[in-house]
Amino acid sequence: MAAITGVISRPTSYAGVWSWLTTVDHKRIAVLYGATAIVFLIIAGVEAGVIRMQLASADNDLIGPGRFNQMFTMHATVMIFMVIMPLSVSFFNFVIPLAIGARDVAFPRLNALSYWIFLFGAILMHMAFLVDQVPDAGWFSYANLTEKPFSVNRGLDYWSISLLVLGSSSVAGALNFVVTIINMRAPGMSMMRMPVFVWMTLITSLLLVLAFPVITVGLIELTMDRNFGTHFFIPAEGGDPILWQHLFWVFGHPEVYILILPAMGIVSEVLPTFSGKPLFGYPFIIFSGIVIGIMGWAVWSHHMFTVGLGPVANSVFTITTMLIGVPTGIKIFNWIGTMWKGAVEFTSPMLFALGFVALFIVGGLSGVSHAVSPSDFQQQDTYYIVAHLHYVLFGGSIFGAFAGIYYWYPKLTGRMLSETLGKLNFWLMFIGMNLTFFPMHFLGLNGMPRRIYTYSAEFGWENMNQLASLGYIVLFLSFVVFFVNIWQTRNARRVSHDPWDAPGLEWSIASPPPAYNFAVIPQVEGLDQYWIDKQKARDAGTPLTEPEALVDPDSIHMPSPSYWPIFTAVGVALIGGGLLSHYAISFVGGAITMMGVIGWGNEPATAPSDHH
Amino acid sequence: MGPPPLWRKGSLPMQSTSNSNRPSGRRSILKNRTVLFGLIAALFLFATGCSKEGQSTWEAFGPVAQKQLDLFNVLLWVMVATFFLVEGVLLYAVIRYRKRPGQPRPPQIHGNTTLEVVLTIIPTILVLALGIWSVFALFEIDKPPGDGPEPMHVNVTAHQWWFEFEYPDAGNGKKIITANDLKIPVDRPITLSLFSDDVIHSFWVPKLAGKLDMVPTHENKMWFQADSDKIDDDLPVTLFGTCAELCGLAHALMRFRVTVMEQTDFDSWAAAYGPPPTNTDKAKQGAQIFAANCTLCHTIDGPDDPALSASRLTGFLTGGDITPVPAPNLTDLRTRNTLAAGIVDLNETTLRQWLQNPEDVKPGNYMSERAVLYQNGSADLTDEEIDALIGYLLDLR
Repeated sequence: MAAITGVISRPTSYAGVWSWLTTVDHKRIAVLYGATAIVFLIIAGVEAGVIRMQLASADNDLIGPGRFNQMFTMHATVMIFMVIMPLSVSFFNFVIPLAIGARDVAFPRLNALSYWIFLFGAILMHMAFLVDQVPDAGWFSYANLTEKPFSVNRGLDYWSISLLVLGSSSVAGALNFVVTIINMRAPGMSMMRMPVFVWMTLITSLLLVLAFPVITVGLIELTMDRNFGTHFFIPAEGGDPILWQHLFWVFGHPEVYILILPAMGIVSEVLPTFSGKPLFGYPFIIFSGIVIGIMGWAVWSHHMFTVGLGPVANSVFTITTMLIGVPTGIKIFNWIGTMWKGAVEFTSPMLFALGFVALFIVGGLSGVSHAVSPSDFQQQDTYYIVAHLHYVLFGGSIFGAFAGIYYWYPKLTGRMLSETLGKLNFWLMFIGMNLTFFPMHFLGLNGMPRRIYTYSAEFGWENMNQLASLGYIVLFLSFVVFFVNIWQTRNARRVSHDPWDAPGLEWSIASPPPAYNFAVIPQVEGLDQYWIDKQKARDAGTPLTEPEALVDPDSIHMPSPSYWPIFTAVGVALIGGGLLSHYAISFVGGAITMMGVIGWGNEPATAPSDHH
Repeated sequence: MGPPPLWRKGSLPMQSTSNSNRPSGRRSILKNRTVLFGLIAALFLFATGCSKEGQSTWEAFGPVAQKQLDLFNVLLWVMVATFFLVEGVLLYAVIRYRKRPGQPRPPQIHGNTTLEVVLTIIPTILVLALGIWSVFALFEIDKPPGDGPEPMHVNVTAHQWWFEFEYPDAGNGKKIITANDLKIPVDRPITLSLFSDDVIHSFWVPKLAGKLDMVPTHENKMWFQADSDKIDDDLPVTLFGTCAELCGLAHALMRFRVTVMEQTDFDSWAAAYGPPPTNTDKAKQGAQIFAANCTLCHTIDGPDDPALSASRLTGFLTGGDITPVPAPNLTDLRTRNTLAAGIVDLNETTLRQWLQNPEDVKPGNYMSERAVLYQNGSADLTDEEIDALIGYLLDLR
């Protein structure tokens, strides 16, 4: 094997397609993650459009029940695993090393591997459309609807095996960030001097590392049931479908915090910057995040209030779910406190952050109402829940991500997104979001169940559905404006390194940052280090107007690009692909993975010939 | 494409937009009016959004649903009050502390521990109070009160995609099995045992009680009661019920009805439960057609034989193209309101459509997929034969 790795010389180019395929630079991997997530955002958006068109009128027969079940299953699966999570990882990749004053993540090649496995896993799941055997049991895929004889085509196999592939990517990525944050902070950056986004990334990564093994167990059991004759979830054979629900939600509830905590971190960076004030109650924001991360493990059965666990179990989960509202409330108070007596500027990132806070309050309040289990018996599995989850995941996660995109785009590219288009984007999205999802509260309370492809006019649900479908059009326009905004930056003016007068270390270096990030690793004296630096410079009468000076890149030792991450990822994807087509392919994939791992192990982190 | 981006080179904070040049007094009045207008609009939307139509949860016909609605109404006001308070403070902060031209750097406040502690304790007390109240409510609606009338028991079994109702004792020890149309006496607690024969379903009659899942190999118990003093219309009234858990292709079309009737009407329905008469030639012909084509799966002469039901289920679960499958008992079809699991009203026209081609009425149903009669699409019967079958099933004279 060593001979093989000796034959392949290390990639040397730093431009062109090959440089992207072999890159280990965290900033480039961030771009790959972000761009891929945006592509899947479009796919999930189209799926949502089909759903809204079908439900726009009573007794509609645009698509049948089979296609409809596929649409909502894939919409949710794609949004969660292929849009929001990779968008968060994109931010982790771009921001974390810069925010902690590091030159890259702890394991740059592992980082590349995470991306390629993610990409191939996502493509693998979408192969289901090519063979028209699309997953159709919901993103929660409750057993035993997922078992034979109720699900006979391979749709659920595509779903479970692709999620196993995606999960391995998530765990590898999360471990990487845990190690990076714990070990690679600049000197002086104690835990309580870390920016909030770094903290939320740490908590999210720990949740990922702990939650994914649980769903992995469930998915392997499901795959075994469907393909190898086991009976984990088959009641007729002594299995128990409720076991799946516990496994799914023990993963699934921490997962919703995995989706929202990064957005909370972004908002906690944006609000202080545009209030001209440090974050109010920093330690309370941090500890409430930690409390959410811990308590998130003790509330999963509130997804199962109507399963029939009995009043004792429902009481326990009612109380724990109620209590988890408190740390969330603390965050909201502190965000408002940050703006109090500040100088609030209505820039695009700030508008999205304010939109986040305003909409998350709505989602949080309806969340408290579901915690009251006796009342939830009427709301469970209705559109009231659909409204709630979109207020926290669209109003929360997506608005948070957009705040982050508008905030860090000038740092990533050195060019500014148009503020005019940004504001138009915000208002269209804010109005469209409320128009689409607020009526769903009424639909749910008026008795409309989720996941029905048609409804008859006698129930009186048509008007509110029309309103929601109209809102979809407004949302669609808001995304068009966003893409136009991105497109027009190709000839936008270059921007200074610190356009927002921001507090984070990432703003002290050039935009876009050089490959090595920091020529000199910064010394950290407190929270919001760059504000401290700028204040000192102002006091000394020599305001800081220039970024850290660039140096000869060859003078700084950086990890070299590598073929092995993408090579290994191809092997991992083929293992999954083989399980869906011919087992022989899995063995080929296994061999490629082994070869990749050995070649990787034999490759020095930096090629001897490489000065970079 | 908009004008050039609004930012300034250098490390100074960005200027706000041109709006902030206005005199601040006038602006805040304008904003207050906007807020007021928004408030009125929101309340208007709210008033028009809630409806008692169909299977709305805004109207309760029994003690369980009433308790749940009472809880939600209190929650609603807590939510509305908190919403306006928090969003109001947010809006105030954003408007009051917006950046003004030439404003110096604001005071660098890092926090206030007393405020944090107070703002932690208040919501903790609030949510704990709501939580404890919920726990009491949870136990209160768990079982019917012991001092009321004698409850009647019904076993409900969910199938893809219809509901089977079994009354072990509908009065005088008579056992009844029916489907998709649950008849209950008013002012009497109904205890229900929920089962499923295939996948997970959920049993929901919004106006009587919240939902409870129907899980294969688990028995779930619930109860409800329809109160005559909560129902304005004359009895009998028919309420909507539905499956609330995704259960496959025809999930949206898995519904049922609950007919609330006087005890005396219920008793006479129970007493009349039995196969339709065959006292005319046409009815005899219908009965023959039924016996020749339908009885592999359907029963029409009283409650199903449990052994036969079990064998149908085994046949269904082990697959195959044409097997006996669990199917609705048709003994009292002529007394039901709806057809095909509550999706269309039952009359001659709809029954004819159903018998001719069930797939047109309810996509995904097992009858058109598995019955020999429908292997070439629409029914392998003449119009005259279908007439006879309808006449027999509905006991038309």
